[in-house]
Order: sequence, then C-alpha cells, then structure tokens
Amino acid sequence: MATTVRIEAADGGVLRGMQDFLGRLLASGKVGGVVVPVHLFGKGMPMPTLVTDPEGLGRADPLAPAFPLNGAKLVSRLTRGRSGEKIAAVMRPCEIRAFVELVKLNQGSMDDVYIIGVDCHGAFSNTDYPRFVGEADPMAATATFLDARAKGAPGEGVDIARACAVCEHPVPLGADLVVAVFGADIRDHVPLMAASPRGEALLTGLGLAEGSENPQRAGFIEKLVAERMANLERMYAETLESTSSLEGLAQHLSACVNCYNCRVACPVCYCKECVFNTDVFEHQPWQYMGWAKRKGSLKLPTDTVFYHLTRMAHMSTACVGCGQCSNACPNGVHVMELFRTVAARTQASFDYVPGRSLDEAPPLSVFKEDEFQETVSHLAHGG
Amino acid sequence: MGNKIGVYVCHCGTNIAGKVDCEHVAKYAGGLRDVVVARDYQFMCSDPGQDMIIRDIRDYGLNRVVVASCSPRLHEKTFQKACQRGGLNPYLMQHCCIREHCSWVTADRGEATAKARRIVEASVNRVGRHRELFTRDVDVLPDVMVVGAGIAGIQAALDIARSGHRVHLVEQGPSIGGHMAQFDKTFPTLDCAACISTPKMVAVAQEPNINLLTWSEVVDVSGFVGNYTVTVLRKARYVNEDVCTGCGTCLEKCPTKVLSDFEEKLAFRKAIYRNSPQAVPNTPVIDAAHCKMITKGKCGICQKVCPTGAIDYNAVERREVYHVGSVVLATGYDTMDPTVMSEYGFGRFEEVYTALQFERLNNAVGPTGGRILMKNGQPPESVAIIHCVGSRDKNYHEYCSRTCCMYALKYDHLIKDKVGHHARVYNFYIDMRCFGKGYEEFYRRVQEEGVTFIRGRPAEVVREDGHLVVVGEDTLLGMRVRVPVDMVVLCTAMEPRRNAQDVARVFGVSQGQDGFFLEEHPKLGPVSTATDGVFLAGSCQGPKDIPDAVSHASGGAAQALALAARGHVSISPTTSYIDPEVCIGCKVCIGLCPYSAIEFDERRKVSVINEAMCKGCGSCAGYCPSGAAQIKHFRESQVFDEIDGLLGMHAPEGPCGESAESSANVQAGEPA
Amino acid sequence: MKTEFEPTILAFVCNWCTYTAADLAGTSRMVQQPNVRLVRMMCTGMVDPKYVIKALLSGADGVLISGCHPGDCHYMNGNYKARRRVRLLKEILPLFGIEEGRVKLTWVGASEGNEFAATVNNFINEIREIGPMEARSMAIV
Repeated sequence: MATTVRIEAADGGVLRGMQDFLGRLLASGKVGGVVVPVHLFGKGMPMPTLVTDPEGLGRADPLAPAFPLNGAKLVSRLTRGRSGEKIAAVMRPCEIRAFVELVKLNQGSMDDVYIIGVDCHGAFSNTDYPRFVGEADPMAATATFLDARAKGAPGEGVDIARACAVCEHPVPLGADLVVAVFGADIRDHVPLMAASPRGEALLTGLGLAEGSENPQRAGFIEKLVAERMANLERMYAETLESTSSLEGLAQHLSACVNCYNCRVACPVCYCKECVFNTDVFEHQPWQYMGWAKRKGSLKLPTDTVFYHLTRMAHMSTACVGCGQCSNACPNGVHVMELFRTVAARTQASFDYVPGRSLDEAPPLSVFKEDEFQETVSHLAHGG
Repeated sequence: MGNKIGVYVCHCGTNIAGKVDCEHVAKYAGGLRDVVVARDYQFMCSDPGQDMIIRDIRDYGLNRVVVASCSPRLHEKTFQKACQRGGLNPYLMQHCCIREHCSWVTADRGEATAKARRIVEASVNRVGRHRELFTRDVDVLPDVMVVGAGIAGIQAALDIARSGHRVHLVEQGPSIGGHMAQFDKTFPTLDCAACISTPKMVAVAQEPNINLLTWSEVVDVSGFVGNYTVTVLRKARYVNEDVCTGCGTCLEKCPTKVLSDFEEKLAFRKAIYRNSPQAVPNTPVIDAAHCKMITKGKCGICQKVCPTGAIDYNAVERREVYHVGSVVLATGYDTMDPTVMSEYGFGRFEEVYTALQFERLNNAVGPTGGRILMKNGQPPESVAIIHCVGSRDKNYHEYCSRTCCMYALKYDHLIKDKVGHHARVYNFYIDMRCFGKGYEEFYRRVQEEGVTFIRGRPAEVVREDGHLVVVGEDTLLGMRVRVPVDMVVLCTAMEPRRNAQDVARVFGVSQGQDGFFLEEHPKLGPVSTATDGVFLAGSCQGPKDIPDAVSHASGGAAQALALAARGHVSISPTTSYIDPEVCIGCKVCIGLCPYSAIEFDERRKVSVINEAMCKGCGSCAGYCPSGAAQIKHFRESQVFDEIDGLLGMHAPEGPCGESAESSANVQAGEPA
Repeated sequence: MKTEFEPTILAFVCNWCTYTAADLAGTSRMVQQPNVRLVRMMCTGMVDPKYVIKALLSGADGVLISGCHPGDCHYMNGNYKARRRVRLLKEILPLFGIEEGRVKLTWVGASEGNEFAATVNNFINEIREIGPMEARSMAIV
C-alpha cells in the first residue's frame, strides 16, 4: 500500500498546509527548489515561481483556479541539462502530460524533477480569473472555489475555461506525488499520495501525519469525468459541424491575424523557430500578386489556414487539450476546440494518448513495415 | 543580384515537337519572371544545343538555366555539365521532362502544349530558389567484390583481377562454375562445356588477385559508392581448405547417401561431397544436415580416413568484413520447378525430365557417364522436347527465357548423335528464336538432321499402354496431334534466384516486375543499377545464354574498373543539412535516419548530419516540424515554388492555342 | 464526353520507382490524361505533409504520393514513413470537407509503366467524380 499522508488544513486552510508541506520539502534538502504558482505581485495572476527559500512560499497558491500558461515548457527548461540539484514541481494533469511529451522529444528530463500532481477542478481563462477573484483576496478566492467545486455546486458566476470543462483527464498521471483534492474535505485536510517509488522516498522523513485516500474520491472522479466527457462530445459535434468545409474552417479562423501566439503558448509546439516564421514564408511581392490573380482576391496575411492545418499535422497527436492556445489568442479564435477535435481523430488513428507513457514514441517518429495497409491505394487496379 | 534565367525547350526531333508546340512554350517562358532568354531547338543534347546554353550564359550573364526536354534521368547530367562548362554551378540548372511525361503520353496537341507550359513554368519558378552546391570527391577503395561465381561472376572477377585490382569472389555453393558446370556441350558450336569453363575455373583458383570465398554469403552491406563495407558469412565447411589435398578418400568412405542437387536429383552424393572431381576448389564440404557425426555424434569415418587431418566437426561459421569500392552482382538464376504444371507429368512420370536433368544425362561425369539413358537403363527411341515450359506463359512468366530454343536444338543434335539417327525427336515450340551468331545456321543444320518441329504448346503428357503420349495441336496444320514417345524433356523457364529479394535488400538494388534485378536503364545502362557502385553481371539481370552472360559480365567488370581506376568519385551534394540555429535537438531525425548519418552534438544540443553517410533521402526533413532539417536541392522553398509553378502562378488557366505566327525561336532582349 | 471540370493533380513521386515508371510509361507511349503534373522527389519519405496541404490550398484538386513497394525503398524504409504521414493527413483533411479520396498514396515500382499510366488515369477519373476543390476559388490560403 502506497504511503499517503495528510496535508492538514491549519488555521490558514489547506493552502497553508500545502505551503507547509512544500516548506518541509525544501527544508529537508531533498530538493533545492520547488516550482509552484505564487502571488508575487499582490492580487495579480499567480505565476509559476521557482522558490528556493521556504520564506518565499507565503503567497504560494498551488491550487489556484488560474492557468496563465502551461508549465510543461518551464519545467522542460529547468530540466534540459543539469542544475546540480533536484526540484519539485506542482503541476496540473495537462501540464504533466505535456511535459511527458516534451521529455520524449529530448526537451526535458524526469531525472531531476519530482512531479507533484494535483487533482484538477479546472481553471478560469486569463481574462475570467480576475473577474472571478474580484475584490477578494486571491488565496481566499481559491479556497472558495475549491469549496464550491467540492460540493459540486459551482456558483462563481464565471465559467471555467472551455478546455477545462471538456477535460476528461482531471486526475494526474505520471506524477510522483498526488494532491488528492477530489472528494476531500479541504477544510479538514487533503490526502497526499505517493504515486511512484521516488514519491514514496520523498515523503519519508517529512514528519507529515499518515493518512489515507478519501473513499469518496473514486466516485467523485467518475462523476466528474462523465460530465466532462458529455461536454467534450458536445464540443466535438459543434466543432465538426461548424468546420465541416474549408469555408467553415476559414470562418472559424477568420479573426486569426497570424500572430502565432497559439503556438507560442502551446506546450507541445516545441520548435525553437516555427517554420512559418522562417524565410520559407517570407513571400515576394510578385508571389502575392500571382496568388491574388489566380484566385481573384487574396486574404492578408496569407497562409492562415495553411498554418493551422500544418500545425495540426505537426502537433495534434501530442495535443493534451490544455487550452492555452485559446487562452493566448488575442482575437478570441476557438483554437482549442478545433485542435482537440482534430487530435481526437489523429490520436485514435495511431492509438496514441499523449502523456500516457514515456515508452510510447510519438507516432511520426516511428513506423512499422506491416501497418496501415488501408492507407495505400491500388489505383492501377481500380482500388 | 537578380536572377537571369535562360530557358531551353528541346524539340527532340519530332519526339517532343510532334505533340508540343515548342516555339509557343519558349515564347511563353520568355514572358516569365526573370527569364532573359528563351529558345527552342531541335536537339538540345547535341553539341550545338549545349553550346547554345554555354554561349548564352556568357552573353546574357545567365545565372540560372532551365532545360525542358527528356527525363532528367536521361540527360540531367549532360546539361549540368554543359552549365559547368559555361561557368555556371551545375545545381543552378533545372532539367524538366516534357517528353516522357508529356509529349509521348498526351493525345491532344493543345493539351500537351499547355502541360509543357506548366512544367516549364514550375522549373522557372523553382530554379530561382536554387543555390550553388558543390560535389565532394571521395576516394574509391581499389578492391572489388563479385558476388556469385558462375560463368558471369568468374568472367567479371578475372577481368578485374587481371587489371591489377584485388577481387573478393563470393560463392554460396561449395565450388564455382554455376550452372555451366552442369552442362556437357554448349550451343551452337557444340564445344565441350567443361573444356571451356574448367580452365577459367582453374584460372580463378590460381589468380593471385582473386580471394575466392566459396561456401559463403554476403549478409550485410553498408557505406556508399567507393566505400562499401561488406560482411561475408563464411559457412562452416567442416573441412580445412588449407590442409585438404582433395584426395577424395573421405568421399569414398562416407556411408551416408543424399540425393545430389548438382546432379538434379538423378544421382546420390555422400554427406561429405563435392560437385565433381574437377570442382574448384576441390575441397569437399560436409552437409551438416545429413552428416551422422554432426547430427548424432556417431560415425566419424571421414575424420579417421583423412590422411591430412583436415576434417573438423566442430568448425563454426564466421563473419569476415571486406572494404571494397564497388560490387558486381552475378548471382545467376534458378530454373523453374515444373511440378506445378502437372499437365506435363513431371514428378508423376519418371521419363519426364527437366532440361538441366537432361544436361546431366549428357555429361561425361554425370549419373549415366554421358549416355542418354532413361531410368530403366535403356536409351529412348523417341523424345519430345517441350519448349517454353513456364516461359511466355501468363500463368507463370510472361518473359521469354531466351535460351531454350537453342539448347533444345542442341538436345536434338545430341540425341541424334548419341542414340542414333533412327531416334525420333519432336520439338513442341511456340516460335523458334535463333537470333545469335551462328544460331540460325545451327537451326538449319538440326532441321537437316531429321528432327521434327511441331508448332504449338502441348496440352498435356499422358501415359497410355506404358507409353508417354504428348497431346497437343499442330497450329500450322490446324490438327490435333498425339505423339507417343519414350522420353519427354521440359525446357523449364529461367527464374530469378529464390533468394533474389533478400539479395536485393542487402545490396539496395531493385527488382523488375519479373523479379530479376533492375538495371539503371534498359538500353543505356544495362549493367549499372540505381545504386552507385553496384553493378550487374549475367542472368541475375534477366535470362541470358553464355555469350551474353559473359559479355554482360565483362561490361559490369569494366564499370567497376572504371571506378577503381579513376580512384575517386564525386558524391552528390544533395544531402541533408540541419540548421543548428533552428534545431531544437529533439533527436527524432536520428531515429528516422536509415543510414545512421545523424549524430547528436551534446555540446550544442543539436543534431548534425554526417554528409559522408547521408544519402539525401529526406526522412529527417519529412519529419522536422521546424524545417531545421532540409535536403539541399529539395528545400521547402524550392518545392513550394515548384508547386506554385505547376499550379500556374503567372497566367490564368486557359486553353493553349497553337502559335502559328511565331517563327522566331528566340524570345529575348539584347545580350547583356 | 468531357465534363466542364478539368482537375489539376499534383503527384509527388519517388525518383527511383514511380518517376522511373512514368519515364517507362512515356517510352512505351502509354497515353495519359494531361491533368497530372509530377514533382520529382528523391523518396516519398521526404514528402512533408506541408507539401500536400500547400498543393490542396493552392489549387490542386488531388494529390498523389507514389513510392516504392514495401521492401523496395531505395532508402530502405522511406515509404513506410510516408505511409504514416499520409495516414495522418487522411485523418485531418476530411474533417474540413477535403474528401479523403483527394489524397492518395500508391506504390508503383520502376518497371511498372503500365501501372503508372493506369494509376494516373484512374486517379484523374476519381477526382473528376469528386469535383473541384473548394480552395480553388477561396480567397484564403
């Protein structure tokens, strides 16, 4: 039986307990730093922060319903090469899955990082989070949010991000420790469960009281996932319908200004430089004229549909559905809806679930001699 | 500096001009962006044609050239060289095909011209993006490997060895000579096969420049033209070649009999055996599957009787690695097993023989000592020879095996000669193909010897009253025929070796539809393959008789020698390149590269191409999402612009009329 | 009888097999409809999915990718890599109304001139049935 300990809701609530746990981790010397969202600047957005001094944890808000960016790229940056010290990172399930994909692509390493995954109720979009917090203290707002979500009666008046509402992976996979928020009475304590031998070792000697997984957790998850799946299916259907033609797709993308923020925000778009930013797409004046003449008119900037279709080919198999693309879009293009819908097809086709296992190679990085026979046509013989 | 493009549209006599309005295409090209001169000409590949390009490069200061003519697989190099002579980097030329892919396959003149226009436009578009590339010279290793030691392999090996280069001659069998060693006489001269092939086999054994590796197989080939690394599996012979004197005592004493493949299963050999007393090398080999000492640990007679202690039951196979500049494949052919054509009774009637079996009956060291005797010990009084068994037959092989007509004539003569003039011989043929030197004369001679020729493929061979009867139709007379005979000989098809596919994979050569190895060009490159430095010799390329196999082999040897004598070879610069500024070091390309040509630079954390090993296949570029990996000469921008050109960037789609009024063949401004 | 619609088809073909087969079809005067235009690649393994997308958005009505038969790849296994990339495109493109049949992957060996001609003619006919690509007249790329 894996070790489970209690993160007590001390006088400051469960967040204080989390801070205490992370402080003990730092004090134990087992890690040199922890990555956790911190309200560094008053009431602003809690940003992932590399904390090395337990003092710096006072405004840490590891369960905040804010998701300004997918932390996978940050953790990848922290683990590409050696710092000489191990770190712990508090991550959402979609961040962990994206990180696993990046590790497969040699963009980071599991060796020097302990992943503390949290059960994820979802988060607000970047514009909605401040609306949700309002005048309240953000830490108190987090507690309110968790409370309401635990009761299954969200009454925030603001919806969580669409990506979160359709996320069927609210439980962290591949973490060393799991903060088992689901089903817990967070006014009392949250169970912290070891999910790997490394996590097990990390817990020993921290002086945390022994606990157990909340018996209600499984049922909570089942209900939540069912709800999310229903949302997801609805979203697929809507997206498929509205983009079922090239014109539909173009309409869906009509507000796109080729800023490429979606790919900058995308945790699995790992290229240093997107090919669409290279000279390959620096067209000559006469080329624009040629295209315009061929079609009669030409939308500018060009290559919008081309960019999105190519990006689907490049990363849809690795899409973890975190929704940061939509979060980052300045013009409100529903990028996440589009990419998740495509990803569902491409991932199923290769029987690939991003983030499921480090042992699964990205679909286009491998091949077999005897596969996908139906993909090959035999046109000469009328087939 | 802006691009100055010259476009040259070839008429290829009427080959292109017959369907494509070349003047119109040149005129159209002359109006395309950056084109400063566009011409059409009768034969661009001719000296005046090439000179035209060279002159224009100088006169107009061209920095890009497009030639629209035949397939680049035919003349790309020709025009690259012309550009080079004109002082232009050869990779600044784009050669496009308006003959094979356009004029020759398009029915309508207007459509052909429109298509040619698009093809030329795409090339003009693409060539603007071309960059100078420089070939690298690499040294060619002087040694050559010849695979297969039938008559073709022997000829190739001797030709090369006698020029002073070292040859590693690999033969999978225990001795050399191939099928020719099974024959007794050769057509049309009726030379004694042994008398002409044995000296060659001995010459191989005595040639100091030949390293003969019998009972061996090539299992791996890596590297590239000029620098191949070949791993040869030396199968366990169980007889030490260095010690064995070939005295043959072991063969006499061995108690185990096995049906002999060399004798086409008409006779037995021992578990320790050699194909014939004249075998080269004459060291026997132990058939491990049948040797009682090896299979059961009981016997050991050969070891006891061997006067030199050459027998080693514990011998193991070993691998040897050779570094060679080129490879000549001379792996030969198999003959078809006619059992599948059950109508001819092979395997059911013991008087039905295959051609190779009949060869052995005639061979002085064969099972009958060279007498034509049936299994009952009697000579046949009448023989039917059925041509085209499995050849020219849609159910088996569509091709003609090219040798059967002639060896059938040889059999006709041998039967008359050995059994006596009274013996009746019937040839069932489809067509008599006697095209070689002296062949038609031999046909006439055999006809005059009183042999019967019946035109028609027999329906079946049946046994009636203890006699074989060939049932068929004489299509010249339009009559059904039933010919009772004592013996039937089936002229079975020559087939690709049963392991041809494995050999093709190991050496990276292609097989044609018939399964034989594919030459680079059916007419102009009959001994080269698509893989530089791998050449073909003999029947592995297609059915051949001995003179053809030998000349083909000498051709293959000459190609290998040309490489070796030159000593260096230009390696195409169209390899991959990974931009270190763009590469993020995901390493996927390393896993996709079939040649292990990409290494990871741990310091810079980027993937790096080893250009000596890269063959430019683009597996890396096809994946790399950032475009850090690109194939030189197939860069994304080049392909994109070609696509745009093919889709018509400059002019709206529309019908393409004849340009009847255009008479000038130059669409150009004044020379710069 | 010809229909109004004359499709434009781009074919990315391997230099070592299908391109050679196209040469052979030419040498053997096997008449083909003129709608297919070849892009010579060294291997189907270098066909970037971008090329297919670009062609379809820029006015091609169909894209053919043709390489060596399994086991015959001049570069050992480029055709298998191509097959996965085409599989991927066949998942993505139909979602947006680009019929799956507009993108075809075939194996045509160097000696199969007749197969090449038949492949070209059959594909053109199939695209004629499917009809013109929406992107032809759309102002967006």
